[in-house]
Amino acid sequence: MLRNVYLKTLRDAKRSIIYYTIGSIALGLYVTLFYPTIRDATGLTDFLEQLPEAMQALVGDAETYTTAEGFLNAEVFSFMGPMVFGVFAIIAGMGVIAGEEESHTLDQLLANPISRTSILIQKAGAMMTSVLALSVGLWIGLAGGSMLAGFDLSVTGTTQAILSLYLLGITLGFIALAVGAATGRKGLTGGIAATIGVVGFLLDTFLSVVDLLDPARFISVFYYFNSNNVMLNGINFVHFLTLISISAGAIVLSAWRFERRDLAS
Amino acid sequence: MTAVINTTDLTKSYGEHRGILDVNLEINEGEVFGLLGPNGAGKTTCIRVFLDFIRPTSGSATVFVMDSRADSVQIRQRVGYLPGDFITYEKLTALELLEYFANLRSGNLVKARVLAERFNLDLTRKIGELSRGNRQKVGLVQAFMSDPDLLILDEPTTGLDPLLQQEFHELVIEESKAGKTLFVSSHMLAEVEIICDRVGIIREGSLVTVEEVAALRERALTQVEIEFDDTVSAADFEAVEGVTDVVASKHLFTCSVSGSVDSLIKAAAKHTVVRI
Repeated sequence: MLRNVYLKTLRDAKRSIIYYTIGSIALGLYVTLFYPTIRDATGLTDFLEQLPEAMQALVGDAETYTTAEGFLNAEVFSFMGPMVFGVFAIIAGMGVIAGEEESHTLDQLLANPISRTSILIQKAGAMMTSVLALSVGLWIGLAGGSMLAGFDLSVTGTTQAILSLYLLGITLGFIALAVGAATGRKGLTGGIAATIGVVGFLLDTFLSVVDLLDPARFISVFYYFNSNNVMLNGINFVHFLTLISISAGAIVLSAWRFERRDLAS
Repeated sequence: MTAVINTTDLTKSYGEHRGILDVNLEINEGEVFGLLGPNGAGKTTCIRVFLDFIRPTSGSATVFVMDSRADSVQIRQRVGYLPGDFITYEKLTALELLEYFANLRSGNLVKARVLAERFNLDLTRKIGELSRGNRQKVGLVQAFMSDPDLLILDEPTTGLDPLLQQEFHELVIEESKAGKTLFVSSHMLAEVEIICDRVGIIREGSLVTVEEVAALRERALTQVEIEFDDTVSAADFEAVEGVTDVVASKHLFTCSVSGSVDSLIKAAAKHTVVRI
């Protein structure tokens, strides 16, 4: 695990990857095992339909809430999933460059014959791998749970929704990485990335309720993640490509800035 | 002879903080060059430019005739670096760290093990648990283990006990004999005198002078105070070679001597000396 920067980064994050992956499996299991109770609760759909629109935006679409896909869309992909993946990716992204620089280990790493861009890309690659571990964990949890609870779950819908969640995690993580590489300051990086995450989430949820502001939802990364309700409707390729472009743009910009600036001593 | 490090009007300004100003240096292949100056004079700034950690405001630096910015990776392939306070991944054991760095250099641990044994370093302990001196030893081993053509050592003996400092000086001399080029920064004249061939003196960001160590020693002033049994006068010593600032009052005599003190000792021997 000490062959290169990519493996070393995974090695350092080993414990947190394991815990978050277990958490993702548990989340999948918990929600799927809970689903039959909701499905069998009579009158729930009627109740949900009577809720104010703002509350519905938080809970999820009332019409589909009692279907397996609709329930998971509301429970896993509207709040818990993005939170787990977002927190994990942002913390990982903060540590990539800013973390090493603040703990004064970056100098010694860079005294070796390795370019700054190579370090950045290897560390970004490690993040892609670790968020993938969470995604696989969530998939196993959802698939396993639905089998245990004895209901059918759309494999394509689940896989696409997890892929979208994966991309959301990568996007938030790469934004954190980019701010960290550009500034070298971990606290600032965490603050900015978390603000983008939290404000993005709130904006997306609440702008969708106010008809007048609905067109403004495009400023939030969450809009591209699941405004299409991927679990039910599949991936929207424009949204999908938008998240990929934001992630790629963040890496390119951070490499450009990181190559040009002085390292903190 | 080829210059291993060459700087042309190298300048780095930090706004309020002082950097370096128009530094022109030429370090030749195979020499041990000392950069001497007080803390904050700009020694580390020079070194950080050579390693491309920071970029010059103006002027340029070349190492092995390659630009410090454009060819940084190729340069670092041939350079070993040890800072005064070696800080690295605390959770790794010394062996794991050396393995990691050796992998990044596509090298091996043969020389590292020899050096670890020589400096009596336990490789199995975590770096975070090591004392400052032992941590510095790990730094020393990683700097020398790839057998680099150029060693850049920034205040390398800080935190080492005197015995270890001596061992380190011997290592530097050996490496130099093996044809390596060494760039050593220090704030201690005594250290530079022991290991270096040439010395540059840096003060407030400017290179004041570059001299052979022998010449520097020649010009260094030694303060001498002698107590005599009989009364002496200043005139007895003013003509002695290298002696200046003579003050004589009855039995006590003080002066400064540049270069060798031999003539002064011989002149003093004409009287009965109580104490030097």
